This record gives sequence, structure tokens and C-alpha cells, in this order.
Amino acid sequence: MKNFIGSRAIPDLVYHCPENMEQLMDLLGHIQGHFKIVAGCTDFIPAVRGGRWAFDDGLELIDIKKIPELKYVTLDGDRIRIGGATPLSMIIGAPAIKERAPGLAHGLTTMASPQVRNVGTIGGNICMSSPAADAVPSLLVLDAQVIINGNQGEEKSPLDRFFLGPGRNIMAPDQVLTEINFPAPAANESQHFQKVGTRDAVVISIVSAASWLKVDNGKCQGVRIAMGSVAPTPVRLPGAEALLVGNSLTLDAIDACAKHASQEITPITDLRGSADYRRDLAYTLTKRTLTACMNDLM
Amino acid sequence: MKMQVQLNVNDTTHQLEIDANATLLEVLRNLTRHQSVHRSCEEGECGACTVLMDGQPVNSCLILAASVQGNRIMTVEGLMKGDTLHPLMKAFTDELGLQCGFCTPGMVMSAYALVNQWEEEVLSDMDIRKAIEGNLCRCTGYVNIVKSIRRAKAAKDAGNWW
Repeated sequence: MKNFIGSRAIPDLVYHCPENMEQLMDLLGHIQGHFKIVAGCTDFIPAVRGGRWAFDDGLELIDIKKIPELKYVTLDGDRIRIGGATPLSMIIGAPAIKERAPGLAHGLTTMASPQVRNVGTIGGNICMSSPAADAVPSLLVLDAQVIINGNQGEEKSPLDRFFLGPGRNIMAPDQVLTEINFPAPAANESQHFQKVGTRDAVVISIVSAASWLKVDNGKCQGVRIAMGSVAPTPVRLPGAEALLVGNSLTLDAIDACAKHASQEITPITDLRGSADYRRDLAYTLTKRTLTACMNDLM
Repeated sequence: MKMQVQLNVNDTTHQLEIDANATLLEVLRNLTRHQSVHRSCEEGECGACTVLMDGQPVNSCLILAASVQGNRIMTVEGLMKGDTLHPLMKAFTDELGLQCGFCTPGMVMSAYALVNQWEEEVLSDMDIRKAIEGNLCRCTGYVNIVKSIRRAKAAKDAGNWW
């Protein structure tokens, strides 16, 4: 059934709300029929209303947002660990992120709107696996790892091997993304994220880009560049990175790297922007984010 | 599927039988009759349905009512003291921060969360704009809305706030 603005009704569903991991695993072990694991629902509801997902035979909905074991931000030795069902605003406000990864906090602040960030979770953004997922480039440049759990046991995967295509990833339907973790950035590291869309808030990025730099004595010791909306999945750009590593950081070197980045991607033309426009944006955003990192460190 | 839930709206507990697929927006408008909560895009773009959940602004169209048991929900009705407007609402009327009024309840809730939690002395226009970035005003009356929120901050600083 459609409502007056043409969107569809949410399908009839059975609502499950496990209160801890044990209950969740138990539920996943014996549940029958179509089921879906959700957390914030900020992407799930538009997906069913817009018709991207249809559940004609009803749906068992498993809501994991009330599981305390999945909501945390901690600094554990030299790694920052974030629970899969942690809302974005909780990550942005966490002392460990503010102090050790302000670049990530800033990147997450550009996502959606305050209303969505208060509910939407980091795991949800990753699991939806949109090529335009705005949290992902910032996490890719941090060399993040995800931990996936299910009744078959725990798995770990680097984030850049997690995505398989638009909306597809390595997870099975009965698995849960329990944690995302990454090395806490040191003082000689910096990261920046920028995106372009038709509006600053609540927008699907036309291109988003994140850069991370590690500098020692004016030389680039490490660089990572990642982009969203320029390929079937969010991607790292190893070719462009290789141009900078080990070299002196200059504006010319950054420019050459950004030019290479704009050629390394495989954008498509769609209603948000043409492939050519996306290449132009990729160049500009790479240059801007790398320059911002350089200015932080030198 | 029908289910029994307890919802806490504006400090009143409602015992309700709802559909499991009902959004908080639908339950607030149709069952508890909090019709200040406006229905528009139903996909989190416009913010007309903004309410506070445990003091934080959320889109009630993107939340299943079944999932908010145990949370405190607040709508603009909860800001009023009897027939008296909240200082923030008064600021919106004084500065003409509303035109057609459709976005206003959501805008007020986003603004309330901002001003209520703002601890620093200065509240810049950029901070205000960032806080209401999830609320669209199609009359495009943003300048007066920002002025209204600035006035509300002044009212709070003067001790006129609840």
C-alpha cells in the first residue's frame, strides 16, 4: 500500500528486541522465515518505504540497539574500539575520539543530520554497504578492522576487504557486526574528510574523500586515501598513495597525487552527477584533504 | 502484528496497543494525539517530525514505536507550562521565526535541544545552523529562525528558562 506521497507502508513485522548478546545469539539460532537485523533503523525505514527492500511474506525484525555489549567507544592500548551498534553522536562525543581521532569525529559530524546521528549507528552505515557510505572513507584511511560475530563464531576482516558491491558485503544474514577498531592516530598523523552534495546535511554524497598522512621531518612516512561514490564500493586508492609515500610533501606532489587519484577511480554517471564531474571532484577533494592534513602536521 | 507497549510522552505514561510496524510518528499523531508532530517526507530529510528522545532530537518517522519503550519522548506540547509559552516559543513569535508554521514544531525541538545543552558562553550563528541542519523550512525563513534561537539563548542566560 502506498501513502499520499507515494512511499510504501512498512511491511507487517514481528519485533524482537534482545537485551544482550546471549539472547541475540539464541534468537539467531532458531529464528524461522525472513528476518533482518537492524539497529538505528534510519536507513531501514527509507529502504522499505522507497521500495528498495520488499518483504512480501512478512518480516521478523531483530533490533540490536538495546544490547549494551554493542555500544561503546574505548581506547584499548593503542587501538580505538567502537561497538557496532554505537550511535554516531555517541562516537563524536566520546573523549577517546575527541582526543585521539578528531579527524574521524569531524568526518562523522558531516553525516546526515543531528536527528539521524543520534539514532543511526556506525555498524549500520557499514553494513548497508552503500558506495556512498560517509563513515567508511574516514575509517578506511584509519586502516580499520571489523569484527563479525554469529553462531559460527567470530571473524575479523580488514574494512577494505569487507565490501563486495553496492549493498553487498562479506556478512551472512545471521551475522552481526560487533566491533570496528583501528590504531589510535599518533601526534604525527592527521586525517581529513570532505564531501560534496547538493545540500550540506542529509544528502547522498556525489563524491566523498578522506585522506590520512603521517609525516616525519617534512617527509611523508605514510599516506592513505579513500573515496566514496566513485566505484561500486568505497575504495582505497593505492596508486595515488604510492606517489606520495617516502617523498617530500609539497603542494606540487599533492597535486600530482590528486590528479592520479582522479584517474584511478571508476565513477559512473547517474542522477547525482556525471562521471567527469566526479573525476573533477575526486581531484579537488583529494587535494583539499591532503593539504589540510599537511597543514596540520607541518 | 499487534503488541502492547508503554510509551512515556511528555512525562505521561501511555499504555497502548500498536502495530509492530508503526513508527513513533504514527503513534504520536494517531494514538496519543500529539499532533504538533508533523508528517511530511517520512524518510528523515525534512525534520518536521522531530521530537526529543531522552533529551536528544530524533526523527520520529525513522523510529519504530515498539523500540522506544523505556525512553522519554518530548514534543512541543511538553514545553508549555499550562497555557504559557516556553521562552523558546516566545522567542520564535517575537522574532517572527515562523511563517506557515509547518516546520516550526520540529525546528523548536531541535533548537530546544541545542540551547538547553549549550554550556559555553557564545552560541554562534554557525552553531545554530549546524544544529538545525536536519530541519527544512520551505518558506526559507531561516534568518528569523536563527535570530529566534539567539534570542532564546539570551533568555536562558537571563534565567528565563525551563
